[in-house]
Amino acid sequence: MKKLLFVLFLTLIIMSFAKTKIVFWTAPNPNQEAYWKKLVSEYEKLNPDIDIEWTTIPAAGSSEEAILSAIASGRTPDICTNIFSGFAAQLIELDQLVELSKLPGFDEVVSQRKMNDIIKGWKFMGKSYVLPIYSNPILMWWRKDILQEYGFKKPPRTYSEIYELSKKFVVPKEKYTMRVVAGRNWWDRWFDYITYYYAASEGKPYIDLKKYRAVYNNDAGIKVAKFFETMFKNKWTAVDLGNAPLYNGVIIGSLKGPWEIPYAENQFPEIIKNITITPPVVPDNYPNDKPIYTFADTKGLVIFKSSKHQKEAWDFVKWVYSNPENDKLWLEMTKMPPARSDLLKNPLFKDFFDKNPLAAEYAKYVGYAIPPALISKTVDVQDEMTYSLIEPIMYGKANAEDAVKNSVKKINRIIW
Amino acid sequence: MTKNIRKREARKGLLISSTYLVYAAIFWGYPFVWLVILAFSRWRYVGSPRFAGFRNFLRVLYDPIFWKAFFNVLNFLMYYIPIVLIFSLLFALALSKIKYGKTFVALSFLVANISSGVAYSIMFSKLFAENGPLNQIIYKLFNTTIPWFTSPQLAMFSISLIVVWKFIGYYGLILYAGIISIPNNIYEAAELDGANKYVKFFKITLPLLNPSIVMVLVFAISLSFGIFTEPYMITGGGPMRSTLMPMMVMYTSAFQKLDPTYAATMSIFTAIFSFVIIWITRKLLEREVDIV
Repeated sequence: MKKLLFVLFLTLIIMSFAKTKIVFWTAPNPNQEAYWKKLVSEYEKLNPDIDIEWTTIPAAGSSEEAILSAIASGRTPDICTNIFSGFAAQLIELDQLVELSKLPGFDEVVSQRKMNDIIKGWKFMGKSYVLPIYSNPILMWWRKDILQEYGFKKPPRTYSEIYELSKKFVVPKEKYTMRVVAGRNWWDRWFDYITYYYAASEGKPYIDLKKYRAVYNNDAGIKVAKFFETMFKNKWTAVDLGNAPLYNGVIIGSLKGPWEIPYAENQFPEIIKNITITPPVVPDNYPNDKPIYTFADTKGLVIFKSSKHQKEAWDFVKWVYSNPENDKLWLEMTKMPPARSDLLKNPLFKDFFDKNPLAAEYAKYVGYAIPPALISKTVDVQDEMTYSLIEPIMYGKANAEDAVKNSVKKINRIIW
Repeated sequence: MTKNIRKREARKGLLISSTYLVYAAIFWGYPFVWLVILAFSRWRYVGSPRFAGFRNFLRVLYDPIFWKAFFNVLNFLMYYIPIVLIFSLLFALALSKIKYGKTFVALSFLVANISSGVAYSIMFSKLFAENGPLNQIIYKLFNTTIPWFTSPQLAMFSISLIVVWKFIGYYGLILYAGIISIPNNIYEAAELDGANKYVKFFKITLPLLNPSIVMVLVFAISLSFGIFTEPYMITGGGPMRSTLMPMMVMYTSAFQKLDPTYAATMSIFTAIFSFVIIWITRKLLEREVDIV
């Protein structure tokens, strides 16, 4: 009996060593964790020779820090999610990522997942290193109830309509029309100026990646800056709007991502019933028949070059993203739109969107949501945008036109 | 024989201090050597550092953001030092007069010092917000609000008030220890000579407190160069980079811009500046105090 047990134990050890171990890191988010837990265990059942050591990205100031520490100390995972485009560009420059477009079956995955257009925004020098997982368009939330109270049957679409609403609604130091500036962190520019710029310019880039120059010193860029200037000058918006201003009725509108839906459902169940979602506001002369573009807060998945099991890692990724059922599950569990352009056409997702009309609004704009510029100096660029463009306008230190020109000049110095 | 004892004593001493020496070698020596290597290198977390001469040092010299952060520290010191010194001294004097519950009062003030920086930063950012409770009261009373953290002129002052709140208890106890070590007979002799309480304070207490005051100043100056949590959490370095501190510039360089070698060089500059300012302060203010 003892011998038998010993043999069994030995076999078990040998078997466990025979397995191919893939280290997989995902975003530290409860909904995403539940999703990956389910999928990883399913994949392991289907592939007994694969052991996926799945964990969330280790606790640190940010995912980027944790990944960098792992690279520096030689503990890089094989696969990692939660990668934003700017960080991907940095990792590509450091030669850390596997070029996914070279891997067998990449094009099939892209076309099966209906990502042909989406993947273009993620290309770095014509090559794909990141597989987009989800794409969160940034849209305007409006308080329908308050708008109606002030005689507005539908939310404002243009800057002039915002001004008109502001004149009726704003009470200095008490009530403001909307949140214009999201904050002063570098990433806040994604959720204010860049979103409005994409909307005003029909989705044109703010950085020309071929010439490596900031290009928002054009008509659209100046119009957005003038909109900001008008709102601050007239005190129709403020730098600090207090806690949950939209839900407390301090403002009527604000840009938000789809992650706000579950939060609002839990925290403000009565108020969310009065929320209506529209694309970002646009300049007055923006054509009515043209779609309005917006910013895509999008995150992707990468395979690291240091991985000894790149083939096995890619097989797992392929398995996950070739099956639309997995995207359906993702949508149900996280409420964030998977990065695929057929969300509203594919009958698979219909039931979910019928039951979740606010999420359906976000799905409508996945095709019009553009990721940030794929540059490695995202932090420097957007920090400079804060300092030379947003803050001078907020504090009345420069006029809109000068602020745009000055910030473009300074950003060009950074990225050259 | 004496030689043998000396040798044995020396061995014992070495053995006892070896724990600390090993500790210092690992946690001070190694990082210090690594810091110097980094400052003279180009490295972005991957591969081996490449020698870069004085490139990083020149970059720091011409970096307006670093210098802005440096001058912000001086600005912070201008608010912080007088306020914290006056309030800590008042706290120490009050504590020396209290008859009952002295420990409780001292501990109550120390709570601020041991509180989580992140937690109280969030608390203060809500409290001082434009629509926060404090501004609501001010608005009701005076029909105006104070842009505590949103005005480029006021933000640093507001941050310094929070840091003052955190350190009054700690510095106050240092000063309190200084006050109680002044012998009573000096005051009694002064009283016999007809000294009033102001004379006693300015001619006895303050001069004899010089070592404690200088110690508090040294602590306060080194703290100012290392301040991070409050501006990072509350203002993010803004508005208009008015609360951007060297630590924040180093942090973003190292971990967001993938430039640890540049961050290391900035840390050397910051250390030198804080050392110089501390040295000047001591030269100007430190007096030898003998309590006989």
